[in-house]
Amino acid sequence: MLPLSLLKTAQSHPMLVELKNGETYNGHLVSCDTWMNINLRDVICTSKDGDRFWRMPECYIRGSTIKYLRIPDEVIDMVKEDAQVKSRNRAEMKPRGGVGGGGQNQRGRSGGRNTFANRGGGAGRASSQGNRPLAQGNKIK
Amino acid sequence: MSEKPKGSGGGGGGGDNKEKRRKESILDLSKYLEKTIRVKFAGGREAAGVLKGYDPLLNLVLDNTVEYLRDPDEPFKLAEETRSLGLVVCRGTSVVLICPQDGMESIQNPFIAQDN
Repeated sequence: MLPLSLLKTAQSHPMLVELKNGETYNGHLVSCDTWMNINLRDVICTSKDGDRFWRMPECYIRGSTIKYLRIPDEVIDMVKEDAQVKSRNRAEMKPRGGVGGGGQNQRGRSGGRNTFANRGGGAGRASSQGNRPLAQGNKIK
Repeated sequence: MSEKPKGSGGGGGGGDNKEKRRKESILDLSKYLEKTIRVKFAGGREAAGVLKGYDPLLNLVLDNTVEYLRDPDEPFKLAEETRSLGLVVCRGTSVVLICPQDGMESIQNPFIAQDN
């Protein structure tokens, strides 16, 4: 999980941001960018010593001045969901790409034929030439 | 001699054409134009002024700027004193925080109330 992915997922959630100067900002994350610059809404600023408070409707904070951000626990689960969806998509993409490429390979490369024949009768085009190697392969086994 | 200006001009033109649309900043400072904003700087200085202009690097032009002075003994506490700076250009790299002066107010500890 990437820190900025978590932060991006935390958009619209309440959070606490402590700056390097010790001030803390409590507010709802509106937006963030790749530098960790953030926009907060309905902010309460607390001084470093913790005894002065300011309310501000919104504020923009430069990412390089942030020490850390505290984010609600539930946000981490939402990131995982995103990651799972992404990995699922990748997993689906790979076979698709392989089959698509295989279709072209069957015409072009002889090596591709055998591999497809071994996978079974799914590849109809390879049947006449491909069955022999398959049969041989089975005998060897 | 004559080639140099041509070359640089052509290069500049090419650069304009090639320049991709930069991702928009998450901060739209245009909404603060002609409004008073509060700016905190690296090192602890704070100022408020009317935003007259800005650039993507967060350099700011502030007018009627007032700096909020701090007690030298307690550099994190703002003293009541201010000093007038007038028209200033703020260096973007030293800007830590920007918020509208309107609606910014000192309040009592809000977290005690939440605990109760």
